[in-house]
Amino acid sequence: MQMLRNLTRRRLRTGLTILGITIGIWALVVFGSMANRITDMVSKGSAYYDSGAVSVWGGGGSMPKSNPVDISIGDKLAALEGVDVVVPGVSLNISDDAAGMSMGLPPMITGEVAGSDKGRMTMVLRAAMGRLLTAADEGSNVTVLGSDLARQHDKRTGDTIALRGEEFRVVGILEPTLTQPDNSAMVPLAAAQRLYMSTLPSLVKANLTASKVATGFTVYPTPGTVPETIAAEIRATDAELGTMTPGDFTRLAGSYADMLNAVLVGIGLISVVVGGLSVVNTMAMSIAERTREIGIKRAIGASRVRIVREVVAESALIGCIGGVIGLVLGAAIVTVANEAGRSSGTILFELTAGTAMTAVAFSTVLGAIAGFVPALHAARLDPVAALRYE
Amino acid sequence: MNAVETPLPPRPLLEGRNLRKTYRLSRSNTLQALRGVEVRIETGEMVAIMGPSGSGKSTLMHILGLLHAPDLDSGRGLSCHGPHPELTFAGRDMVALGESERTRIRAREMGFVFQDFNLVSTLTALENVMLACDYAGTGGAKARAAALEALSLVGLFERAGHRPAELSGGEQQRVAIARALVNRPSLVLADEPTGNLDSARSEEILALLRRLNIEHGQTFVLVTHDPEVGEACDRVIRMRDGQVR
Repeated sequence: MQMLRNLTRRRLRTGLTILGITIGIWALVVFGSMANRITDMVSKGSAYYDSGAVSVWGGGGSMPKSNPVDISIGDKLAALEGVDVVVPGVSLNISDDAAGMSMGLPPMITGEVAGSDKGRMTMVLRAAMGRLLTAADEGSNVTVLGSDLARQHDKRTGDTIALRGEEFRVVGILEPTLTQPDNSAMVPLAAAQRLYMSTLPSLVKANLTASKVATGFTVYPTPGTVPETIAAEIRATDAELGTMTPGDFTRLAGSYADMLNAVLVGIGLISVVVGGLSVVNTMAMSIAERTREIGIKRAIGASRVRIVREVVAESALIGCIGGVIGLVLGAAIVTVANEAGRSSGTILFELTAGTAMTAVAFSTVLGAIAGFVPALHAARLDPVAALRYE
Repeated sequence: MNAVETPLPPRPLLEGRNLRKTYRLSRSNTLQALRGVEVRIETGEMVAIMGPSGSGKSTLMHILGLLHAPDLDSGRGLSCHGPHPELTFAGRDMVALGESERTRIRAREMGFVFQDFNLVSTLTALENVMLACDYAGTGGAKARAAALEALSLVGLFERAGHRPAELSGGEQQRVAIARALVNRPSLVLADEPTGNLDSARSEEILALLRRLNIEHGQTFVLVTHDPEVGEACDRVIRMRDGQVR
């Protein structure tokens, strides 16, 4: 009670200090929620690759490339020990300038013979409208669009969409998956091969046959075989092949996400620390104003510990109030932004209970720490001198 | 407490010898506020310490009230060499005590009244009095009851819920007296308790202190330069230039 009354003595000053903390915690909550969302997307992304499949591409290296590979290499891979199913595929950017336009997942055209994974793909794709591709679609210009792509181009089942200069009929639209397929146009393998060929320089094209070209293979190991073993085997077979296991993907995506999250949370933390400094200032001022009062309390028997406790509790309360208000405002922003983005499938934030509690606990502790130095100063005052202080 | 049948001469509540206090005003300038004082205050006495400004009477009260410690030995530089100071309160040595122990004794066994009333402005009269209970380790309903009783004693039961700003100077000083008395201390120290009051209020406060002194047998030490206060007391300790005369 007394603490609250002390806070209301200088309403403007206390209010501004609380505002400082509020802004800091608000930033921490909003950026923290964004970081949560990124982490979440990464873990969903690795679930997409979690079928145990090894991605294989031509040209080696540790990052997937879109180099042409002869489709017959798939047969060599299928003959390796521990390999169950090999799915040749073609993937290419939907347009030459599209890369880097969206965060993380560029729009792609992907082509595989439907069903060639023999049921090994663990990620279930469902059609929100229309149907999925079947093996019977080979040879015709049909496509199933990911949810984001369909929304961007405002396409529905039955519409036509131009992909790399060819008209495709939209036969289905996928439910959102929150990862790569959302931004993909799935087409039959033959169509993808043709589109891919059209992107290649003529010198390269001259040596290739469309029906024999692929950009990579998805290799499913037999149950019980470790993907890393298969990957090593593949690289040993042909030094020109690059591989990525689910573990590689998680590490790679995780390290990018960690870096981005560190930046986001760092911005939030800096804001809170600046708010914390204003608490130090406020408490130092309010102790200077209350010098006489502290003198009385010391004279009539308040111990030093007691004075420190009073001051620290008061500044912790400032931190806590600022933290709660910041959390409420941050949660409001996150909710409104997510609601606004829901229709378009762009969900940017995820506010977890952990983030919320951490934010308030952090601001309270910060407030307490900020009050500590002024509190020590107050406790060391000579009661007689403090009593005479004007 | 005392197994001896024959009445002893009253044991002094407070006894000090060779009390010196030097304040360092600046690097090269020191002030000898006390220059070897000897005092003896009996249990149940009401004593006035009087003297002109700068005579050391407040310094003496701060030392008796454990707010400051006496100089331990000769000190440095200007101060004269002298024997070790002695200060006993209720038979216990106070010179060697540390700050936290002195604070404890101030909270539990002493009461303080200051010239400027010195109440905490954000707290009501009742809460101001309860603060002293809190520091002495009494809380809850017991503290509330004790505080209300102390306020009745000074005639302010009705005003318990008022803030200091809503009380007159005399009323504020009575709240301060209630705060000083609430833990039933054996010693009450008052620094110019009537200094900021008109003569009618002064007499009222003085009569109140005297009544409490007689009814509760508490020892009062008043620092004052008001001769009327001196006359109302059992005895006057006169000070001049840091010494008792």
